[in-house]
Formats: sequence, C-alpha cells, structure tokens
Amino acid sequence: MRDVLPEEMERLRFIEDAFRRTCTRWGYREVRTPVIEPLHLFTAAGTLSPRTLDGVYSFLDWDGWSGERVVLRPDSTIPAARLYAESLGGTRTAKLYYTQNVFRFAADDAPREQWQCGVELIGDTGRGGDVELVLMALDTLREVGLKQLNVRLSHAGIVRAILAAAGLSAAEQSLAYDRLLDGDLGVVDEVEARLPQLNATLRLLFEVDGAGSGYLANVGAALTPAIPALREPLEELAFVVGALEACGVAPVIQTVLTRSFEYYSGLVMKIDAGGRRAAIGGRYDGLVGLIGQRDVPASGFALYLDQLIEVVEAPSLLAPVVAVEPEEQTPECVALAFDAADRMRRAGLRVDTTAGAVMQRRLRCRTTSPRYTLRSAAGKRTFEAIEDVMRALGSAR
Amino acid sequence: MIRIALPTGELRAETAALLERAGVGIGGYAGGSRALRFEALGGTGVARVFREKDIPVQVAMGNYDVGICGLAWVEELAQRFPAHGVARLAELGFGASGLWLAAGGDSCAPSVRIASEYANIADALARKMRLRRYRIFPVWGAAEAYPPEDADVALVDAVDEDAVCAHGLRPLARVLATSAWLIANRGSMASKDLSPLLSRLLGSAPAAAHSSTLAVPEALPLRVRETAARRNVIRLALPDGHQLPHAVAALDAAGLALDGYSGDALVRRPRIDCPGIEVKVIRPQDMPQQVAVGNFDLAVTGRDRLFDHKVQFPSSPVEEAADLGRAPYGLAAIVKDVPADSIAEALAYWRRDDGARTVRLASELPNIADHFARERHLGRYSVIPIAGASEGFVPEDADILIEGMETGSSVRANKLTVLERFFESTNCLIASTQRPGGRLGETMDAFIAKMRAGAREAVAAGGGA
Repeated sequence: MRDVLPEEMERLRFIEDAFRRTCTRWGYREVRTPVIEPLHLFTAAGTLSPRTLDGVYSFLDWDGWSGERVVLRPDSTIPAARLYAESLGGTRTAKLYYTQNVFRFAADDAPREQWQCGVELIGDTGRGGDVELVLMALDTLREVGLKQLNVRLSHAGIVRAILAAAGLSAAEQSLAYDRLLDGDLGVVDEVEARLPQLNATLRLLFEVDGAGSGYLANVGAALTPAIPALREPLEELAFVVGALEACGVAPVIQTVLTRSFEYYSGLVMKIDAGGRRAAIGGRYDGLVGLIGQRDVPASGFALYLDQLIEVVEAPSLLAPVVAVEPEEQTPECVALAFDAADRMRRAGLRVDTTAGAVMQRRLRCRTTSPRYTLRSAAGKRTFEAIEDVMRALGSAR
Repeated sequence: MIRIALPTGELRAETAALLERAGVGIGGYAGGSRALRFEALGGTGVARVFREKDIPVQVAMGNYDVGICGLAWVEELAQRFPAHGVARLAELGFGASGLWLAAGGDSCAPSVRIASEYANIADALARKMRLRRYRIFPVWGAAEAYPPEDADVALVDAVDEDAVCAHGLRPLARVLATSAWLIANRGSMASKDLSPLLSRLLGSAPAAAHSSTLAVPEALPLRVRETAARRNVIRLALPDGHQLPHAVAALDAAGLALDGYSGDALVRRPRIDCPGIEVKVIRPQDMPQQVAVGNFDLAVTGRDRLFDHKVQFPSSPVEEAADLGRAPYGLAAIVKDVPADSIAEALAYWRRDDGARTVRLASELPNIADHFARERHLGRYSVIPIAGASEGFVPEDADILIEGMETGSSVRANKLTVLERFFESTNCLIASTQRPGGRLGETMDAFIAKMRAGAREAVAAGGGA
C-alpha cells in the first residue's frame, strides 16, 4: 500500500490528461463502473483464473445474507463488458475508455490498488480494430513524451492450437501455458513428443522472437502442415503486423506474451517503455457473450499508471507562484491583500495568501503609500496601483 | 515459556494419550478437568484448552506457539488467509477423517448453494471448480441436514463414504484427508526454542503421510435446474443443542406435538401434528440467515442470534414474530483481573501506558461484539470470533469477552467481572417478513398465533422462564 505524493500526482494527471485527449481524438467516450461489483460477475465470466480469483477482496455486503459475496473490482474489462451488455444495448459498436483502479491482494507491503487507463473497442470491428488499438496506445504514450517504445505482439490462438493438437485438456493447456510463461521450455519437448507429425521443431516458436511478417511466413511454412489450426491465428497476426509495418511500427513477435491465457482469444499486445510495462491488451471475443446474451467481438488495452509515472517526466504545467501578504495586520490591509490576490488568480497566476509558503515572488500590501512592494530575484519594486503590479507580473511571465 | 493450545472435544482423549507417551502429560487435561488452563513442561510451559476451530487462529495470532487440531481447521484458515503464520509440522496418527462434497440429489440451482462449517474451503472449492455462480451458507453445524431442500451441496466431515451415505447424502468427492496435526506459529519456530516439546512429541507420534492439500474435483456432477420447485408447505426450523428443551416446552405450551424432536429421540426431519408445516432441525445460530434466504418461513432461536444477524445485515427480511419467553439470559461485557467497574475505567487501565493500544474482544457473537465496540467508542479494537470455551480467553488472549450469562454462577466460578450487561435474550419465534399469500400465509399466521398464545399462557401460569 502506498500514498501518491504531489509530484507523482502531477505526473499521473499529466498521463491521464494525455490519455483522455487521445481517446477523444480517436472517437472514444468515457465511462466509469462501480468499485464494488458482485463476485458472480467475475466467476461467471470464467476468464479469470482461480489463482486470480483467490486474490480478490471479497466480502459480504449489507444484504449478504443471501450468501453471495461482493468484490472490490479486480479487473476493469469485465465490468466494461457488463456495462455494454446491460446499458448500451449490446448490439452496436461501442468505443469506451476509463481511468479506474483495480484491487488484488499482494503480499507484504506491495500495493493492492493499481490504476489503469483502459480502452475497450466492442463490436465487429474486424482486424482493423486490432491495428487501431495498437496505434492508439502508441499515440498516447508518445503524447506523454515516451520515445523508446517496444511493441510486442502475439496471438492467443497459436499456443492454443498447438496444445489442443497435442491433445491437452483446457486445464492442462492453462498449466502448460503458465510453465511456458515461466520460461520452462521442457513443456515444449513434452508437447513435441505428443505431435509425431511435426517436421520442424516447436522451439522455433518459443526460442526465437520474430521481427515481423517474414518471421510469421517462416513459422507458417514450417508448422501449419502439421498443425492446420495454426493457419488462422498466424494469418490474423500477419495482417496486423503488416498494417503496423506499413504505418512505420516494427513489432516483435513473441509466442508467449502475458499471463491471462484464458482471457484473450486473439491478438495480444504488450508495449514496454523505459524497461517498464506500459500497456497490455488484446482481443477477448468470448467475454461479452459470457456476460450478456450474445457474442460480440471485443478488444482493448490498459495503460499501467503505476509503471508509467516512473518513466514519464511531466512538464511543469503550473503557472508561476506569487505570495501576497498584508504589511499590517489590520482588516483594511488584509482586505487589500486578498483583493490583489483575487486579481492575480483571475489572471491565471497561482497565488498563496497564507504565511510560510516558498514562492518565487512576494507582494506585500499596505494601506499607506506606496501600497504594493514586489520582491523577486530581479529585486524590489514599489507600486501605487494594482494594475501596475499586474503589468509587472505580466511582463515577468 | 512455551504456550500450547490443546483441543477439547473428540481429539482430547487421543491428544492426552500422545502427551502421556511423550512424557509431557498434563494431568488435569488427561483427567477431563473443566479447567481451561494448565501448567505444562514442569513449569516452563502453559497449556490452554480450546475448541478445535479456534486453535489455528490462536496459533496464527501468536498467542500460542504450538497447537494440536484437525487439519480441516488449519486448511479453513489457510484458504482465507494464505499468508497466515501457521506452520504444519506433523500428522499425529489419530483423528483420521475426511472432508467430503456431498449432494442431496442429482441437480442444483443455477447459483449453486453450498452449506458448510468450512465456509472458506467451500468458497475455495467453488472458485477452483470454476462454478459460474454460487452461494455459500456458512453454518455452525448440521451441514449434512441442508441438502436437498436448503442447499445443493454440503461440505461435511465424515470418516468414509458410508458415513456420508448414512446422512442420506450422495458422496461426490473427498476433497481433504484430515487427521490431528501438530502445528506451530511461524514466528515461534523461527525464533524460540520449542525443542523441549517438539522433540518429545514428534518422537512419540507414528509416521504418517497423508496428503495435506485440497483435492479439487474438475466439476460438480450436478445438472442445473432451470426452474425452482414451488413450495406448498410452510417450513419451520427448530434448534438442536441446549435450545432444544426450551423449544420443546414452547411447542408443548402451544399444544403442538412432534415425533422425533426430543433430547432422547432426535431426527433432522421430525413430524409435527400441524398440517401444512414441515420441520427441520438445524443449529439455532444459523436460523436467521436461513429464514432470510427463504429456505424457512419460521424458526425458533434465541433473540441474541437474531440481533447478531440484524447487526450485520440491517435490512435482512427476518423479524421476531413471538417472544417465547424461555431460556432467558443476558449478553454482557466480561473481563478478568481488571481493576475497573465500567468500560471507561477499563479502557483507561488498558491504555494507561499506550493510548493507542488495541482492545481485543472475543465472542461467539462477533457482529454483536463489533456493534458493542462501535457503540461504546472503544477506539482501536479487534474482534476475535471464537467457537466456545470462551471463559478461558480473558485476560491472556482477549481483554473483553462478549458472552451470554444466565445466573452468573459461571462468571463467579471463573473469577470474572461483569462490566456491563447490555442485552436481554429469550428464545423467540422468528419469521420471514416476506409472508406468503393465500393458504400458506394463513397457515403461517395460525402457527404464529398458536405459539404466541402458548407463550402467554405459560407466562400466566408462571412457567415461562
């Protein structure tokens, strides 16, 4: 658990503002879902692993006599899919974004609360939707000044096709995927032993990070004769990679990319910035159908604010600061000081009227002539009229 | 000083025998003394007797270094609090049993209803089996009585399949092999010399090697029912245990006779000579929730249990329908060895050196204890839910006991002090506020009227209490 300090909040708001501007430019609309949701929303979705559900904060609500629990939301996409199914008709294309926190247990003093800027593109947007989300995430990250962005792409269908061809059950597939993610390539040999029809090694997929369309063509040529179900995910991935390359983005292809094996159904993306996890997203076509009445394709991504504030440098967006103080502690002089401060605030200056602040400039007010004394690094100047003070401050800005 | 938590109940005799074999015999414990605290290890240790369920909690909190209890209660704590401080040291070779998932039929509600004393394990199983929607009924006991009417599945403690079947249930899977285990507080293991006790105990326990982890079935082999069956009877819950004779007396005063509901001959589904009413016997502690969820329309329980439920769920659709006037007792805040006559004086005493000290309240009624602490502005406090053997908690393991008292003889015998008696309870008939219409509603009203009349007549005859 941690506090967010003023300097961190400035960076956080800077990222949020950039995210909001980007979303608006791309035609997305903001939503917000409740912090407390029924537990069954997340169990019914079936896309959060039991391990994830073990770490949710669940408790009995005031009407918990029913035996059903509520949770602090552990995920934002599932509530967004619910919102779409319940309130947006569940039929037309929806372009939604949000800035929300999610809660999951973490050991020791690690933060249990994480803030995310999330985007959901729900509707039949085709492969173009995947391209849009990658470009939109990059647009946001560039907007906050990040330049070294590493885009990695995968497709959930690739590992699924291989593990299914090897005859693994859904539970075994999930376990094997986790082993792969943990770098245990022994599982590749075990799977290969179950696939005698292979004429190329599967390690091609797991040991080599591909550089683009050429790599995907090589993988297709080597493995699809033995595993035909690989053809579709490889084609989908090739389409997105080709489009991104044409847009000047050079993604790396990585077969195993993120946890949440059961969450994603298609393209999966991960963007790193400055060695930090900046964005993760992908396609989850099955989710809306599990929550609502009918299947609707969907995809999305989330920016990880807790990670980004470590690498983003927020420019100083705040106006210069002035301290305004009365020279004498009389009602008239105090009123004069507050009147001067009010004029400055309306002109866009940041003004402090309480004692003790460390300010760049200091204006002292008194009821006798000269009325105003302005001190700054440039020296001391006196004025009779507030308009003259404002002109001096204006020229200083 | 080595602190040892020992079980009362079923494991007591074999635990005492193990201690005897190990040469750390504790005379009073083996002899069945009613005392709750004993000297041990020739004065270098202290042993305290608890209900089994409380032992992992007390060891995890660090109040005790070592404990002996059934594995199921250790697992129950671990499933909710995986970072707890209990180390499992050794299986002790007695108390073998199992936790079983069992069903009453071959179907389940769309939101699967699971009743169990082991609510955390039940919840974990539901998650790991990926049930899309489920409800957990955490019960104090008699979980086996719930299916099929009041739960789809029960998670019950049973020695084997036959024992499950003997409850009229269909065994679905054994999810945990349980037995008595020696456990220790991780901090004590890391920093304190427990070897005088451990070497003797571990040397005397037979080698045993059962799996100590949950075996999760891939799925529940139950068909999902599309529609709920409509009920054509009013359902009444009657209490077992110490409330039973008072309920029998109240029913008798109302002119209602039951077959299979007495201390000598108790069945879970007794018959009542009142057409349109079906009876089931469950624990009184569980009745308010069972009425609230609609499994029962009426129940006979203590007013304290209704209060505890309503404090947690103020809008719960259950209310008192008739004061039956029997089994009177009061709830009180009780302390020991505290020079105070009021809560305010006790707080000043406890916080005389540390103004932020946490005040610990132990109670079998944790919601009432929590309510009491808020109402009395105790400041920083913690509530320790306990299963029984409560008078032994103060002053070592808790500061205040929120406890029921009748005549005060137990309080005096244990040299306890009552700071405040704040709630009066008798047994009562509770009812759902969602009264059914038509014939069912009339049956319910007529039953309530009979019970009220019986209680009035008993009071008039001087036999209410």
